[in-house]
Amino acid sequence: MRALQTLVRKEFRQIFRDPGMLRIIFAVPLVQLLVFSYAANTDLHKVPISALDQDQSAASRRLVEAFFHCDVFVPGPTARDPRELQNLLSNESARVTLWIPKGFAEDLAGGQRPQVGITVDGQNSSVAGRASGYAQIIVARETQRMLRERGFGPASGSEGMAQVTGITRFFYNPQLESRFFMVPGILVLLITVISSLLTGMAVVREKEIGTLEQLLVSPLRPFELVAGKTIPFVVVAFFEFCFAGVVAVLWFHLPLEGSLPLLALSGMAYLLVTLGVGLLASTLSQTQQQAMLTVWFFLVFGILMSGFFYPIENMPQWAQWISAADPVRYIMNIVRGIFLKGAGFLDLWRDLAILTGMGLFVFGSAAQRFQKRLS
Amino acid sequence: MTHDEYAVYAEGLTRRFGEFTAVDEISLAVRPGEIFGFLGANGAGKTTAIRMFCGLLAPSEGEAWVGGLSVNQHGERIKRKIGYMSQRFSLYDDLRVHENLEFYGGIYGVDAGKIRERSHELVSRLDLSKMQERMTSSLPLGYKQRLALGCAVLHEPKIVFLDEPTGGVDPVARRQFWDLIYELADGGTTVFVTTHYMDEAEYCGRVSIMVRGKIEALDTPQKLKERTGSSSMQDVFLELVGS
Amino acid sequence: MNRIFAMARKEIYHILRDRRSLGVAILMPLAMVLVFGFAIDMELKHLPVAFLDQDHSPASRALIRNMTSSGFIVDAARLRTRAEIGAGFRSSRFRAAVVIPRHFARRLDEGQNSPVQILIDGADGTTAATVDNYLNTVLQQFNRELLNGGSSTALRASLIPVDPRLRIDFNPELESAYFVVPGLVAVILMMICALLTSIALAREKETGTLEQVLTTPVTPLQVIVGKLLPYVGLGAIDASLVLAVGRLVFGVPMHGSWWVLAAYSLVYIMIALSLGLLISALAGSQRNAMMIALVTTYLPSLILSGFIFELRGMPLPLRLVGEIIPATHYIRIVHGILLKGEFWFGRDLAVMLVLLLVFTGAATRRFRATLE
Repeated sequence: MRALQTLVRKEFRQIFRDPGMLRIIFAVPLVQLLVFSYAANTDLHKVPISALDQDQSAASRRLVEAFFHCDVFVPGPTARDPRELQNLLSNESARVTLWIPKGFAEDLAGGQRPQVGITVDGQNSSVAGRASGYAQIIVARETQRMLRERGFGPASGSEGMAQVTGITRFFYNPQLESRFFMVPGILVLLITVISSLLTGMAVVREKEIGTLEQLLVSPLRPFELVAGKTIPFVVVAFFEFCFAGVVAVLWFHLPLEGSLPLLALSGMAYLLVTLGVGLLASTLSQTQQQAMLTVWFFLVFGILMSGFFYPIENMPQWAQWISAADPVRYIMNIVRGIFLKGAGFLDLWRDLAILTGMGLFVFGSAAQRFQKRLS
Repeated sequence: MTHDEYAVYAEGLTRRFGEFTAVDEISLAVRPGEIFGFLGANGAGKTTAIRMFCGLLAPSEGEAWVGGLSVNQHGERIKRKIGYMSQRFSLYDDLRVHENLEFYGGIYGVDAGKIRERSHELVSRLDLSKMQERMTSSLPLGYKQRLALGCAVLHEPKIVFLDEPTGGVDPVARRQFWDLIYELADGGTTVFVTTHYMDEAEYCGRVSIMVRGKIEALDTPQKLKERTGSSSMQDVFLELVGS
Repeated sequence: MNRIFAMARKEIYHILRDRRSLGVAILMPLAMVLVFGFAIDMELKHLPVAFLDQDHSPASRALIRNMTSSGFIVDAARLRTRAEIGAGFRSSRFRAAVVIPRHFARRLDEGQNSPVQILIDGADGTTAATVDNYLNTVLQQFNRELLNGGSSTALRASLIPVDPRLRIDFNPELESAYFVVPGLVAVILMMICALLTSIALAREKETGTLEQVLTTPVTPLQVIVGKLLPYVGLGAIDASLVLAVGRLVFGVPMHGSWWVLAAYSLVYIMIALSLGLLISALAGSQRNAMMIALVTTYLPSLILSGFIFELRGMPLPLRLVGEIIPATHYIRIVHGILLKGEFWFGRDLAVMLVLLLVFTGAATRRFRATLE
């Protein structure tokens, strides 16, 4: 035990002596948290839409106005002819264009189904998809409303028209802030980077400067060496998570309704995985750069397939298999559940179990590889 | 004497890396308290052999006993009994001198009080008193070397392996270093040292010369000089290795 | 010149012999393009929805059947109690629950409005609103079918009173690859040319070989140029690979000119290199160089460049930062060249050139300072 204590003490000394390191531990997570949380909003926001109203009727004007009732669209420059409309799209003054041809109001009143042109800039496919969806819904709703007021079409609850109406209620996050979804994920990212990258590089660093050999000759037992190199980063990661977590709760008003003990346990299981990855990378690498790139490789795909940025449901089958083996996915689920939905053991025990299993497996294999013989 | 009464005893020790045989059936016996010089050209297999003695590398064939413990079976226990100073002086540049000493003492399981006592002792014997608080990175090479030795012997091992301990250091410092080695040996410590410097070979009790994995000669410097009709260890070396 | 090539050649040996790093540097971008292109899709589909049928009537069953065959919705669970809804949300088993109350069918028969409850997991705020839309749209579809036996054509048609002609420009299939490939090129070039170079230079400093080299007749400038040159090559190879995959596998078009693209890319690469230089001069060790590079180059290029998150949605200070990072402008340029066939990007080019000057200046000054 004394040997382990000595090793851990040395590691901490080295960490705190390194001025860059201190900045990394405090400043970097803070910056990342703030930048990410403010930048990462995927709401459709202030999309400029330009209209060419060739009908200039009360109905057409009302249709155009309908787009600006919510926050999604903002008025872009108006066009006077179709070519100008197209140009507005090409030079990105507008993201969406709306073209209402002459005779719109007349045809609408006569039940002739007038054409309305919606053109969307498709470069950003996710924005384009959602924007076009919204635009179509707005058009449909507003024109339906107009007709109802004129006395046509189904009125609610009259004329023997049976209709199914949906009454929506949102659980958790009634303001539908996208930030709430992102921030817990960012917390996970922070500790992931610290615990895997830094651990991997720390071990390889000893290899590079030659002190690893000296440690191997000493009576330090393999598990003491592994523990000594990983414990400091567990502590640092834990500290960062709390630090960033406190900032998130106080500054962003992130709710924290769920089980804290579950959070701690899951965090530990997850750290087993990330530390294991770092260790594994270090056994496979000769230089710090190799260690970094190896861990980085795992990190990037781990994060991509975890459901953090992009929904898992939409992925093809093969990608879903990969995602099922991705520890980041499970910790994300757990963290989000605890912060946003007040989840507890009963809800998330399955994810915890899988995560723990993964942790033991990865860390165990890594530690085993880390034999006390020079490779 | 039986093999467990010797400090280091090797019998047919062999290590292969794939097709290449780095250490080819070497046998030797080092008595306790001896200063044994382990010589050889670069790539002759010295470092590989030392690694086997230290329990870092498993032999492909053969056996060796260090401090009576078998390298094949008790590799881990051997580590407790020996001290090792690597070629690269393996010190932590971002720790102070006394912190390096404390660190190595700690990993060898020496308790805090004893560490303090021994550090004190070593610092004065190694002439590091003025440097205790300095960062290791700022030490000149000669002092780093002494610090590395101090770290290797802080836990008072009976057997010490020194791999090229005087590499790159000036002659005065080398001379002083060997004084320290003599002191160690006088205290009963067995010193197993490799070196490039043939003049240092003269300081050793006995010397072995490795050529391409095999031990070509093993005897006192005097007898080796007689055998090859040379006047210096340098010539002995050239004679044996040159072929 | 010769000396520069000698340095460059040595660096190329380093790069080639480090198989692992080389492998990651080349495979990762490729894998990313493929993953993004094949696996990432922002459109909502396969939404897991749970159903709580309290009516157990043919109508309620018909509604459920209708909804689950809509193509968007995956039948995640059939619930029996309301309590299961909360539990399902908390464990993220499903994203929404539709509760069909008792008397659902009876109300329909009586010609009244028959409400169903749509409960949505709001944790993912973004998609929650879209989920709401989708589910309501599906309900409308059901309503339409209810009326299909109805009489008045006018009434039927007036369910959607207009004929919306939807057209998507520049990316008619809404291929996410079209959008992702330019962004990936920007991020990868930044990674290779800033991250890797800063680490390479920091490593020479750490191991002391830089000092060694500087004792030779080589001038610092030659050292730097020689060392950075191979990374330009590596970056160019990577970018070309990504573009090639984008084109061959995903059909990302090239409406513009390759030469124009190469020219702008060169400017971008030089910016990245000077950043790498600056970072290595500031960082004490490889580890620090890596962390600094990650935060100041990789991350901003990923988050603040418009690649993943829209700049328009960010608060002003972040948007401003986004406008001064090179990746944002480079991405716009690549988009423009690939998808629209343009070739002059005055404003973006101007910003990039200014950045190039600033970074190169700072880097040279810092580097010279550390050498003394």
